[in-house]
Amino acid sequence: MSETLITLERVCKVYQVGEENFTALNDVSLEVGKGAFMSFVGPSGSGKTTLLNLIGGLDRPTTGNVLFQGANLENMSRDQLATYRRENIGFIFQTYNLLPVYSVYENILFPLILNGLKESHVRKRVEEMVAKVGLMDQINKKPAQLSGGQSQRVAIARALVKDPLLILADEPTANLDSENSRQILELMWELNREYKAAVIFSTHDEKVTRYIRREVRLEDGRVSWDKRRNGTEAEP
Amino acid sequence: MNWEIANKNFYRQGLRAFLNVLVTALSIIALIFMLSLLNGFQAQATRNLVSTDVGGGHYRVPGFDILTPTEWEDFTMPVPEVLSGLAKKDKAEVLVQQGQLYPNRRLFPVQLRGIEMDQSLLHLPLAGLKFYEDKPGGEIPAVVGVKMARKAHLKKGDTVVLKWRDKGGAVDARDVLIVDVGDINNPRIDDGVVWLRLDHLRLMTDREGEVSWVAVREYLGLVNGFEFHGIDLLMSDLLALLRQDRINSKILWGILMVLVCTSVFNTQILNIFKRQKEIGTLMALGMEPGRIVRIFTLEGVLAALWALVLAIFLGVPFFIWFQGVGFDVSHLSEASFPIRETIYPDYQPREILVSVFIVLALMIAAAWVPVKKIIRLDPTLALRGRAIT
Repeated sequence: MSETLITLERVCKVYQVGEENFTALNDVSLEVGKGAFMSFVGPSGSGKTTLLNLIGGLDRPTTGNVLFQGANLENMSRDQLATYRRENIGFIFQTYNLLPVYSVYENILFPLILNGLKESHVRKRVEEMVAKVGLMDQINKKPAQLSGGQSQRVAIARALVKDPLLILADEPTANLDSENSRQILELMWELNREYKAAVIFSTHDEKVTRYIRREVRLEDGRVSWDKRRNGTEAEP
Repeated sequence: MNWEIANKNFYRQGLRAFLNVLVTALSIIALIFMLSLLNGFQAQATRNLVSTDVGGGHYRVPGFDILTPTEWEDFTMPVPEVLSGLAKKDKAEVLVQQGQLYPNRRLFPVQLRGIEMDQSLLHLPLAGLKFYEDKPGGEIPAVVGVKMARKAHLKKGDTVVLKWRDKGGAVDARDVLIVDVGDINNPRIDDGVVWLRLDHLRLMTDREGEVSWVAVREYLGLVNGFEFHGIDLLMSDLLALLRQDRINSKILWGILMVLVCTSVFNTQILNIFKRQKEIGTLMALGMEPGRIVRIFTLEGVLAALWALVLAIFLGVPFFIWFQGVGFDVSHLSEASFPIRETIYPDYQPREILVSVFIVLALMIAAAWVPVKKIIRLDPTLALRGRAIT
């Protein structure tokens, strides 16, 4: 395995639902290396999204530790977690979560602006990303004017534009038809090879598993199966 | 950069932002309008009382009390030279006596009020009396107000028997001709009052040169034999009423503010509520919580500023126009307020500023508070749109 990017140590996450406690994750430990292309699979409610949220610093574990390159996220303040996300993580959501008043170009530009870069310095980079995801002819359109597949491409470009070490994609194909799903997965696979960002999917889409190099299956909040493909790359 | 992001977010919301601004602007206009109309109502009531009765105060015969009719005959005096020598625009001599009208064979106790015809200090609809001789002929000309006419079933041209006592205590009776029914917007000098020429009343009561009081434009210092009653004293009943009305208007203002604030708060909260996922996305993209609050608060500030601009743009022409046409309340009954014509709003800058400030502050707070609450929660809740429900 390559250099470790993420380490999960005996992570538990318990939610309070009304007066009941719901255990979303139960004693999960695993490591994710740099440049990984892997997925968390499992039925709905198995803890996939919770695991992604903990790795992305959007949520904190009830017990256990999440370490990013050795740094424990538990010890970070809210602002430090925001910096961690801004500098290291790209998110891709099932519902795209594009900023509705911004154009395709501005949505992709936004993470760079957040990192303090001037538009004039990064315009070329943003246009490159737009071209990479094949949306040059839609560059000035607003999210409401795009199809689901096009919106997800924008989300991918937005996640990649800042060269993050890790991309977390929560059910990225769940809202897409099979052709769009295939295109999105191929695009992510190519971008993973090109940009070397580790990609972790959460999915219950069987098609995804054909592209990934490692599959972690979750059941009832526990890791039931951690399967690695042979070789460093798996061709679709 | 926060300002640029807030600017872009605000302007690109388009119709949603505009409606938000419009609701606030209209609320501000409605608030100012209601308050100013209420102020105008009160100011006009005061002005009417001053212009029809009080003037700048009364020099009264000591002991005269308008609420004690049985003693009116005992408190009349000749007008001192210092008052009689005043210009007609600066004083109005008034003689008040008791009388009894007998409309349709019914007894109707009245106040006979004689006033100089050439005075211009008080504004009364007595033009119908001006062209009579200074000595009454067969019938004594008189004017009554609308309310009095209605109560006594009198109309212009009616003749009615009037009885009174002269200075010697002898009872006289003559026919009175109602030459006009005047629209007197002050119920105090309408209800139960029969207006006569001062020279006629003096002749009728054998009180040549005497008055009950002299209304003056301004205080002239001590006048021998008379006592000065200032505006505050003469209008104490109305002022007390207005004070009570002020309390009521404060309550009304409070209710209006609650309604306006609820509307503004509701609109703003709805706006933030719809943008929870956007807030969650900003958090996921790595924007610091404090910065998110600043951006949304800046958007609230922008909305507030535009609401102010729109309120000025829509409100000022409306207020100027309304100041010209006023609000017709001639249909109102002649109850306790001396007002029965068109009300013109009275714009009080301090009141307007305070009201506008509260509305705008609330608008900004309504942008700040929910976002502050959202960013304290887990970003996952915001991303799912469940941070505020």
